[in-house]
Amino acid sequence: MKKFLATAAIATLGMGFGTSAMAQEDCGEITMAEFNWASGELLANVDKFILEEGFGCSVELIIGGTAPIFASMNEKGVPQIAGEQWVNGVRTLVDEALAEGRLYAVNRGPIEGLGEGWWVPSYTLEANPEIKTVLDLIERPDLFPFAEDASLGAFVGCPAGWGCQQINISLFEAFDMEAKGWTLVDPGSAAGLDGSIAKANERNENWFGYYWSPTALIGKYNMVQVPFGVDYAGDEAWNGCITQAGCENPPQSSWVKSEVFTIVTPDFMENGGEINDYLAARVYPGAVMGSMLVYMSDEQAEGSDAAIEFLERYEDVWTQWVSPEVAARVKAAL
Amino acid sequence: MRDWWYEFPAIGRTDLRDFKKAGDEAFKSFSRAYGESLEMFFKPLLNFLVWFEKLLINSPWPVVMAIIALLVWLGSRSWQLVLGTLVSLALIGYMGMWENTMYTLALVSVATLVCIVFGIPAGILMSKSDRVQSVITPVLDFMQTVPAFVYLIPIILLLGLGKIPGLIAVCIYAIPPIVRLTNLGIRLVDKDVLEAADAFGASPRQKLWSVQMPLALPNIFAGVNQTIMMALAMVVVAALIGVRGLGMEVLKAVNNQYITLGFMNGLAIMAIAIVFDRVSQKFGKRLQKHSEVIHG
Repeated sequence: MKKFLATAAIATLGMGFGTSAMAQEDCGEITMAEFNWASGELLANVDKFILEEGFGCSVELIIGGTAPIFASMNEKGVPQIAGEQWVNGVRTLVDEALAEGRLYAVNRGPIEGLGEGWWVPSYTLEANPEIKTVLDLIERPDLFPFAEDASLGAFVGCPAGWGCQQINISLFEAFDMEAKGWTLVDPGSAAGLDGSIAKANERNENWFGYYWSPTALIGKYNMVQVPFGVDYAGDEAWNGCITQAGCENPPQSSWVKSEVFTIVTPDFMENGGEINDYLAARVYPGAVMGSMLVYMSDEQAEGSDAAIEFLERYEDVWTQWVSPEVAARVKAAL
Repeated sequence: MRDWWYEFPAIGRTDLRDFKKAGDEAFKSFSRAYGESLEMFFKPLLNFLVWFEKLLINSPWPVVMAIIALLVWLGSRSWQLVLGTLVSLALIGYMGMWENTMYTLALVSVATLVCIVFGIPAGILMSKSDRVQSVITPVLDFMQTVPAFVYLIPIILLLGLGKIPGLIAVCIYAIPPIVRLTNLGIRLVDKDVLEAADAFGASPRQKLWSVQMPLALPNIFAGVNQTIMMALAMVVVAALIGVRGLGMEVLKAVNNQYITLGFMNGLAIMAIAIVFDRVSQKFGKRLQKHSEVIHG
């Protein structure tokens, strides 16, 4: 997959060289999604800067979550670009849209080293070395007392609007966690989820729930992903049952390998030209994204500030994604 | 010369960032030091709230409906209101929103109680001294205007997710009306009446409880009424930190574009709001039956 991406990147760069002889046209107004988590903000703002300074576009950012942005693109064609569309939660809809040509995936891996799953702080595993997998962990609800009812263990799921909320509900049922004395806590929002992890880590309390990487929080607090101890149940079970509400008897499963696409609307696909090549070439190595996220967290940087920092710090990474003329224009604007 | 004319001379970005980081670190050390004792402090309130919730949810629904109808009757003595309440509750139950409504009712009732218990004394204090008023008023301004998430995040760091942070958030937003209106009500009591009370030899406490409070009742009840409305308005914001109930369903609807779900739960919140509003207003009017002019 990586070799293919590299070849595609080199090929598109080659095409970029060929077409760069064209006069730079003002590419007009574009709507782009800014997903409401740290890496989403960084990605969108880097794209915006490069599109505005390098390609002469005027970019409007639309903020939202996985499901709402995808629904809006699918139904209304706005925004035109979704840079970090996490696909797992909306798999069936995405596959349908791509198959029917209503949307296009110009990049099937904008960030390397992604992973969703169930995490605990490292000190929890150190204190309980007999716990090796989720199957061991769910036998110990006593280690994670729920604030409102100490007899139950708290498992923190996903807020509403995130694709993973239903997945966590299904897996909670599949692993029979309610019978084992657990309760599924809805954190309400991204801030609630982050806050609960931060609070637990600051107080050295045990915490068990959903998160994903690459994120600043995982890096900062050194959280560990717990292996599920069961295999992935297969695409049919995942897309047909685990991600769907109201499915009877969801099977036990490890998390599907996370996929993130850069998705564009057909009108953009036709008129985007060089920008599509940039979007296809743009791949963030996992370590680079990780360190940018820790930067964003430590320096309390917003997406726009972090984008500038990324463009300044990782010149050798992003100059690979664009033609030299575009790179020169972007550098001049920094 | 030109630069500072057009761009405000702010402190440098590094200094600003260090300032913000220092503030955050200070808060985190405060949280590490006092967080647990704060959690212990609120534990009795949390237990009460959880007990009340369980009571409402585990009781058979006809019993709960009957008790609510009885309370509405005792408060308002209006059979139209009782009928309206029963119909609303029946519809709410029929559309599958009973449990969530019970969660919300429990939260709003306890929040209103807490607000009244702390709000009326604060209002009385404010009314006694102009200096106290000038100190408390900015605090009330802060509580009413600052966006909820500003104080929700520190609260999560201190107390975690769940009901108590939600209750605190609701109370912060809902307490100012009752404080301000109690203050206003007491200050608006006719000076002549107070003089007459003095002439009859009333002690300060007698003046407060027998003269000022009864005459301030219309305003105080307006305060209670507004507090309840604001508490209900905050249930959706409280859902952002994991408080179950109608608010969380509305949040789910907003995040997933479930339009009908959003409307249904919104209407349920509105129904509860109307019931609370009418009952508290009618109860307030009945308490003023002795006066010649009934305000409200």
